[in-house]
Amino acid sequence: MKQTSTVGKSNKTVLVLLILGLSTIIFPLYMTVVIAFKQPSEMTNSISGILSLPRVWSLQNFREAMEVTDFWNSLKNSLLISGLTVGLSILIHSLMGYTLGRNKSSKFYNFVYLFIVSGMFVPFAILMMPLAKQTAEMGLANWFGVILLYVVFYMPMNVMLYSGYLTNIPLALEEAARVDGASTWLTYWKIIFPIMRPMHATVAVITALAVWNDVMTPLIIMAGSSENTLPLAQLNFQSQFGTNYNLAFASYLLSLIPILVFYLICQKQILNGVVNGAVK
Amino acid sequence: MTKHENERKRTFLLITIPILALFICFNTIPLIRGAMYSFTNSRGFGSHDWVGLRNYIDLFSDARVGKSYLFTIKLAIVTTIVVNVLSLILALGLNSKIRAKGFFRGAYFLPNILGALVVGYIFNYFFTYIVPALADMTGLQGLSSSILSSPNKAWIGVMIVCAWQAIAMNTIIYISGLQTVPEDVYEAGGLDGATGWKQFKHLTFPLIIPFFSINMVLCVKNFLMVFDQIIALTKGGPAQSTESISYLIYNNGMSGGQFGFQSANAVVFFIVIVVISVAQMKFSSSKEEQL
Amino acid sequence: MKRKEFRSLALVVCLTALAPAVSGCGNARDGKIEVEIVQYKPEAANYFKTVEDAFNASHDDIHLTISSPNDAMAILKTRFIREDYPDIIGIGGDINYSYFVDAGILADISGYEGMQDVNEGYLEIAEALELVPTDGTYILPYAANAAGVLYNRQMFEEHGWQIPETWDEMLALCDQISAEGILPFCFGFKDVWTCLAPWNAMAVELAPSDTTKQVNKGQTTFTDEYGELAEKYLALLPYGPDDPFAYNYNDACTAFARGESAMYPIGSYAAPQILSVNPDLKMDSFVMPASDEKEGRTLNSGIDLGFCVTADCKNKEAAYEVLNFLYADDTLQKYIDAQTSVPCKKGSFTLPVILDGMTEFIASGNMTDYQDHYYPSEMSVDALLQTFLIEKNEDAFLQNFDTSWQRYNRDIIRMVQEYEAAHGSAQ
Repeated sequence: MKQTSTVGKSNKTVLVLLILGLSTIIFPLYMTVVIAFKQPSEMTNSISGILSLPRVWSLQNFREAMEVTDFWNSLKNSLLISGLTVGLSILIHSLMGYTLGRNKSSKFYNFVYLFIVSGMFVPFAILMMPLAKQTAEMGLANWFGVILLYVVFYMPMNVMLYSGYLTNIPLALEEAARVDGASTWLTYWKIIFPIMRPMHATVAVITALAVWNDVMTPLIIMAGSSENTLPLAQLNFQSQFGTNYNLAFASYLLSLIPILVFYLICQKQILNGVVNGAVK
Repeated sequence: MTKHENERKRTFLLITIPILALFICFNTIPLIRGAMYSFTNSRGFGSHDWVGLRNYIDLFSDARVGKSYLFTIKLAIVTTIVVNVLSLILALGLNSKIRAKGFFRGAYFLPNILGALVVGYIFNYFFTYIVPALADMTGLQGLSSSILSSPNKAWIGVMIVCAWQAIAMNTIIYISGLQTVPEDVYEAGGLDGATGWKQFKHLTFPLIIPFFSINMVLCVKNFLMVFDQIIALTKGGPAQSTESISYLIYNNGMSGGQFGFQSANAVVFFIVIVVISVAQMKFSSSKEEQL
Repeated sequence: MKRKEFRSLALVVCLTALAPAVSGCGNARDGKIEVEIVQYKPEAANYFKTVEDAFNASHDDIHLTISSPNDAMAILKTRFIREDYPDIIGIGGDINYSYFVDAGILADISGYEGMQDVNEGYLEIAEALELVPTDGTYILPYAANAAGVLYNRQMFEEHGWQIPETWDEMLALCDQISAEGILPFCFGFKDVWTCLAPWNAMAVELAPSDTTKQVNKGQTTFTDEYGELAEKYLALLPYGPDDPFAYNYNDACTAFARGESAMYPIGSYAAPQILSVNPDLKMDSFVMPASDEKEGRTLNSGIDLGFCVTADCKNKEAAYEVLNFLYADDTLQKYIDAQTSVPCKKGSFTLPVILDGMTEFIASGNMTDYQDHYYPSEMSVDALLQTFLIEKNEDAFLQNFDTSWQRYNRDIIRMVQEYEAAHGSAQ
């Protein structure tokens, strides 16, 4: 009896703290929304001015932002690139993570593991020029090349996450299947791959977010093509001597929605998966 | 059985070879090609001359580069600590039995998605106008001018923004970690009288150490390579006090004409991070084994 | 069975190797000659779209494509690395142009007839940008910007303030404005590049226009040339806001647009941003007075956009045809109206109202380039200036300027001195 009451009390404290913490997010979000609806002539340097509500609530900024960024086309490119990258990452990185996670005693695979993981620490700036040249030579200076590069860039982190997660999955599961005569390949897809669902969701969120916001890779690799991703198109709002914050904020709010929805879906998978899964 | 062993080994090899080849093709080879530039005076285009080790010798006598290493390392250490403490607390909070859990989890994820332009504008406004106004109202002298305009304090502003954005991702990893802690551990602990801090220290934390070490490695790496937040917030100023290593490499090497020299910087930087991270992984795996 | 599995494995991974190599370059289409322009001002994208359409509608033999990408410099450098050169590039007259000339990427277009119509002031500026004197002309200066002081005309008229013409008059004006309880200047020094605007504007009167070249030849030092400039720059600071390093360019533009200060020492390029906040603002500009003489004054102006034909361009005649179209009076006038800039062509153009105070300098070709067009960007002179304004230590700043210059320009200095050794005595 006594214990449940203390639990109830502490939960209320937690709730209050969470709501307090939320103000650090609500406040910037409020500013973003308000600015996205205002006109440039409503921008001031006074606090009351910036926090005040816009004079008219009109969707004009959003409409204009969509026009400037060629929204539907850019969105299509962004979705295509992010979607394919996430899909390929889950397939390829989980396979690699599995192989490396199951061979921790082998010197060769240990070396491969460290070799790949250390790729995470390569500053992108040093790869940029060689990659720009190489992709052009290979006929990959297009969205497909961009996806390919993403699959390589995020391999180190994802392999680390997958192989770490695998240590929690008992070998016994595979051995049972082996007794039934299934090959390693089949066992992987039938048993291990589905079990790693929570990790797939985590990898999907982390990879999708990184790809969704990335500017440099498409800028360098697709340089000169007329295709834009959303972040590339959003560079339109900044020029050398001026920035249209109102349109930019409207545009950023729009591009925030798809990735937020994706996160909410994945978040459920992370939790459900772990609760139902065979971990521990 | 040995037939099976062979089959297993061959499958692993057949998986590894093509993926490794892909990785080498688009990571290792360009890295080597890039590293070659560090022995030249290239501007990134046009012709260049070989200059031997000149760039490396210059690197160790360049005060600006040295300053950027100090700043970056200081920022990485402080931010890593702040982020891990806060996101662990947040993960515990979001994992407890509260109302509107889904809403809170969604909301706390938002900072991660907002674009750099938005974050930069809002926090600039916050530090330039709002904080000084609040400080004037409450009479706090130290904060009455923008911290971003002070060479000694600007790094704190960068730290706050980095932490604000990074907490979401670390919290997700901690939350997944907390899911693997079975309920009965708490129940058993409750009987022994372990509550609050004690329960966390002796029961919860040891069970999520693997997630703690992943977060530490990712944090240290992310903050050592900090770039976006610098561009959004300070562009290296004031008085060059917030030039991170990645910022220097990009700004002087790619946008500027110092491509060869900054390639050398990138090579050295790469080696430094690999050494730090490998040491970190070794350390945390030895900790894990102790438990 | 096993084979099949491996085949599907191969499929998963080899998806990666199967690149849809559909990157066909647009060569001659319908027998037309293709001309491609990449220009670096995305804010002028709409203007160039209309130019492109108008050109294609009036030409049967040439097809023109103009792209105005974001971060065009990164894109251009990437394409140069791939040896994939556009026919014409539109860039500014700054250190990047100097590098491109030095790298042999650009073609000599001194044979182009339109060169005769260029304002000599800008041709000289273009010549001076070459790292070592190079035969030929490599850029067709199109539009320029100018830096000085923007002022709130309404405020000046109401208070009866006079436009200053000497440094003393400038300080007297500032004192007068302060005395009436108004802030003379707003600054946006949080964005380091804005620190260069007053610096450049004063430098044209206080330091030789070829200071950097003289230093490269070893004839002088910055400590000798920039002393007065640095001193006078510091003297402006008290007339700005209390903590100028807290505000960025955008803040300063907004403050000036809202009438929070009487003047803003910045370039004509800031006008669109200022007017976006307050479209009704009446503003004008004057040339920054930095010396004590009324004689020998000059306007700080440089090439904001110029067109270069690449050495790789296959059909120079077609490229010249495109340049003719761009350089026609009415096409150029539209650009000037849209971008509030200064034409680099001789002839009668209607200048933007905000340049009223600078018109006579422009008309007589009396202009001097920005000092910072000669500074390598990696040296971050803007950041050095910001440091100087914060710490106010003139000696340390000038010394640091000299040592940094030697460090960042080592290869250029060597090149200049080799050139001097070979040609110097002959002159």
